[in-house]
Amino acid sequence: MSWLHRLANTLRPRSLARDLDREVAFHLSERADDLAAGGMSPDQAALEARRRFGNRTVLTERTHDRDVMVWLESVVADVRYAGRTLVAHPGFTAVAVLSLALGLGANTAIFSLADAVILRSLPVRDPAQLMMVEPRDRDHPGPSPRADVDFTNPIWEQIRDHTHVFTGVFAYNSHTFDLSNGGLVRHTNGAIVSGAFFDVLGVRSVAGRLLATGDDVRGCGGVAVVSGGFASRELGGAAAAIGRTLTLDGHPMEIVGVSDPRFFGIEVGRKADVFIPLCTEDLLQGPGTLDQRSNWYLQIVGRAAPGLTLDAVSARLAAAGPAIMEATLPQRWSHTAKSQYLTRSFGVRPAASGFSGLRQEYDKPLWLLMAAVALVLIIACVNIANLLLARGAARQREIAIRVSLGAGRARVVRQLLTECVLLALGGAMLGVLFARWADLLIVAWISTRRQPAALDLSLDWRVLGFTVGAALVTAVLFGLVPAWRATRVDAHALLKSGGRGLAGGRRHRMSRPLVAAQLALSLALVTSAGLLLTTFRNLASVDPGFRRDGIVLVEADLSRATPDTGRLPAMARGVLDGLRAIPGVRSVGQSAFTAMSGSGWNDFVLVPGFTAHDAQDSLSYFNEVGEDYFSTMGTPLLAGRTFTPADGAGSDAVVIVTRTMARHFFGVDNPLGRTFRTPIGDTASPPYRIIGVVGDSKYRSLDEATPAIVYVPLGAKAGLPGWSTWSYEVRTDLPVTTIVPAVRDAVGRVSPAIEIDVHALSAQVDATLARPRLLATLSSFFGALALVLAVVGLYGTLAYDVTRRRNEIGIRMALGAAWKDVVRLVVGDAGRVVAAGVLIGAALSLAATRFVASLLYGIAPQDVRTLVGATGVLACTALIATMLPAWRAARTDPTEALRDE
Amino acid sequence: MARSKNDVLQGTIDLLVLRSLDVRGALHGYAITQHIQRGSADLLRVEEGSLYPALHRMEQAGWVRGRWGTTEKNRQARFYAITAAGRRQLEQEQESWGRLTDGVNRVLRFA
Repeated sequence: MSWLHRLANTLRPRSLARDLDREVAFHLSERADDLAAGGMSPDQAALEARRRFGNRTVLTERTHDRDVMVWLESVVADVRYAGRTLVAHPGFTAVAVLSLALGLGANTAIFSLADAVILRSLPVRDPAQLMMVEPRDRDHPGPSPRADVDFTNPIWEQIRDHTHVFTGVFAYNSHTFDLSNGGLVRHTNGAIVSGAFFDVLGVRSVAGRLLATGDDVRGCGGVAVVSGGFASRELGGAAAAIGRTLTLDGHPMEIVGVSDPRFFGIEVGRKADVFIPLCTEDLLQGPGTLDQRSNWYLQIVGRAAPGLTLDAVSARLAAAGPAIMEATLPQRWSHTAKSQYLTRSFGVRPAASGFSGLRQEYDKPLWLLMAAVALVLIIACVNIANLLLARGAARQREIAIRVSLGAGRARVVRQLLTECVLLALGGAMLGVLFARWADLLIVAWISTRRQPAALDLSLDWRVLGFTVGAALVTAVLFGLVPAWRATRVDAHALLKSGGRGLAGGRRHRMSRPLVAAQLALSLALVTSAGLLLTTFRNLASVDPGFRRDGIVLVEADLSRATPDTGRLPAMARGVLDGLRAIPGVRSVGQSAFTAMSGSGWNDFVLVPGFTAHDAQDSLSYFNEVGEDYFSTMGTPLLAGRTFTPADGAGSDAVVIVTRTMARHFFGVDNPLGRTFRTPIGDTASPPYRIIGVVGDSKYRSLDEATPAIVYVPLGAKAGLPGWSTWSYEVRTDLPVTTIVPAVRDAVGRVSPAIEIDVHALSAQVDATLARPRLLATLSSFFGALALVLAVVGLYGTLAYDVTRRRNEIGIRMALGAAWKDVVRLVVGDAGRVVAAGVLIGAALSLAATRFVASLLYGIAPQDVRTLVGATGVLACTALIATMLPAWRAARTDPTEALRDE
Repeated sequence: MARSKNDVLQGTIDLLVLRSLDVRGALHGYAITQHIQRGSADLLRVEEGSLYPALHRMEQAGWVRGRWGTTEKNRQARFYAITAAGRRQLEQEQESWGRLTDGVNRVLRFA
């Protein structure tokens, strides 16, 4: 009830203040009357009445301190006072706000990325109920560490029809659609989903209807739902989109509905704009695709009944596992593969935040960067704390006056903290702007041509809450100790002394450990940055085994050019000849895959006399290449010969292998004439005979161990379903943009229905460096920021000390100290702080670099050279920061310094 | 009403004010100081600066109720009257004051 009164008071604060004034006025006049009646003059009586009553301001404060509104009023007063003080010291304010803006901005930027990529739940109904089916081991049914959560369509149908664990369940397959109808491709991210998809997620439509189970039946022709963003971007709005027809991978499909613009599918970082039913797989990939039992491409997500835990759902799925595996056993697999298949089972993992390839790749880097920016913020905080300590010393007179006028200590601390909060919030506002910009930059960095990162980075309450929270914690962090110290004054003594450096010694003791800590933290950051930079440099200078510059990749999809697969080789040959004829083209290679394209082909290699340590050990990558492939790519022929046009057509299966393949499987550099087979079910293929050995190449990424690769000639694998996409490596001095029209014409002459995608090989290779580049760039930036902040802290402390010790230095010089001695004094001082910082920092670095170990390439986390280098950088910058105060100290004029005393 | 420990001195003023209002009915602040001063034969003098905060506090606690009225000199003054809750509080305060003085007296006698 007391708080009710207070609440009531807040609603009529003015009347309360007036009440008190009137009451006191009444009291004073009554007292004055009595005094006058005792014989005093009226003036004297009024004065005496007032004197007896005491301090009215204190009274007002004491009476009203319980009043929320008055409290707020005093806060407003504090804020205004703090604002005036800050404006009166623009230099200090600018430095503080700017360094906080950098610190808070960096934190906001990384946090909003981490939030979007890792933390945030999907914008769907009750995301916490969503669970994703994952493969588990029947005999060890613990949570699966495996990243892949793909299943075959027969398994999906079994789970859909024969388990009753979920209240709703759907299958999802991320797919990049080509919207063009022949010619240059136009990619759009989308998804192929089972009928219940939208229903289970509870997504609403903004126009038309969403997909339903009725759309997803075998033999369907396919309808499409597009996202709100896509509809307004490409189709002139949601209403206009309904009824339009999209060409998706060459198949016309009618748009029946437009989904909520905020919905992006369930893969974070990859915005799906087009959704079509799962039954269209038979249309897009060829008849029979849905029945393939070894085609793993579906993610399965279900909504658990309320109250069911992950474990409960997992247990029920595991119980259904054996029957499902038995019913979906791939018939043509080998005996061992089959029995291994039967040991698999299922479980679930939480799927509230969807799934994300981006998350898998950037989970660790983002946490690492989060730690780095937190350290930067701490260093910035320490700087401002140091500044405030210095200012607190300078403001002691002001504080002493306020204390002697009756202000309580807590009240003054509150006032000083208000200043800090104001600084922090100013920094936060600026920081948010900085973060917006930085986030766009970072997203651009991690986006690759094939996989643009689409993240919802709109400012929401979580991000703003984080920033404001961080700002407030920061304010208390850097403000409380200085405020507490600043108010610990003996007002009387201080006012008498004329305000000359009473607290200097205290500040002195305080600021040095702080600066040493700053230096230590920044050394750890600089060391980590050094390791990540070296990693990037190592990766960038890896020899991929081919020349990456001067090659334009032309990827041509022939599948829609002819229904007759028998004509595909001739058509592919036609494209090759057309490209060769383009002026400015030196040579053209042809292959099934290109390095680092994200796709590939591997198989087991059976060599008599070779025993594999494990299944992985006998795997080799394969590629199908034309006769000019090696010369165009600049891969050297080490032994034997390259392919001729006759090789693929002949009955004799010939291959070329890389040097690593030769050494690994045959133990020799030159296995010409030797043969191997590959398994086909329980039997083996006809023998492949080696006719050449070429230099090693990277296949999937730059940081992989040099892989074994087998090259087969063109035509060796042709005729397999889906084998209608070819890559042409065009060696030319012309830039990509110049050559595109000529390529389009040349390919169009073969068939206008061929789809082509043209880009530089170097860009494709560079895309694999996105993550190390991001880490190297950002960690260097944060490392440099930390270093600058720490060194500014060092400079500030030294400069302040030199000013404070002017008298002492003057006396020393008057007593015969040379300027060299004075410089030595200052530098020695700095040296001790730096030495302490380096010692702690080195230990810290060794501990910290363990966390980056898994992100490094070609360098050990405890690399001594990096640590020494980082220490050197730190020492050099520290030396520069020391020279200025030292020089100023050396120039002290003893007579002037002493006259001041 | 829960009381904090540092209210011992304030507790005395509460006791005196509540007792005055209980005996004399509604009084304004100045009359309360006069009553206490006279009632204690000038032994006790209420610090005027702390009377009004105490009155407002007690009003918020619901022990007294304030109303504006007119004095015989035709001045506007705020008259305070004790409430039922205030009477209960007064009983408690009197009892604990009795215990306190009793305790102090015993100590003084036997010390």
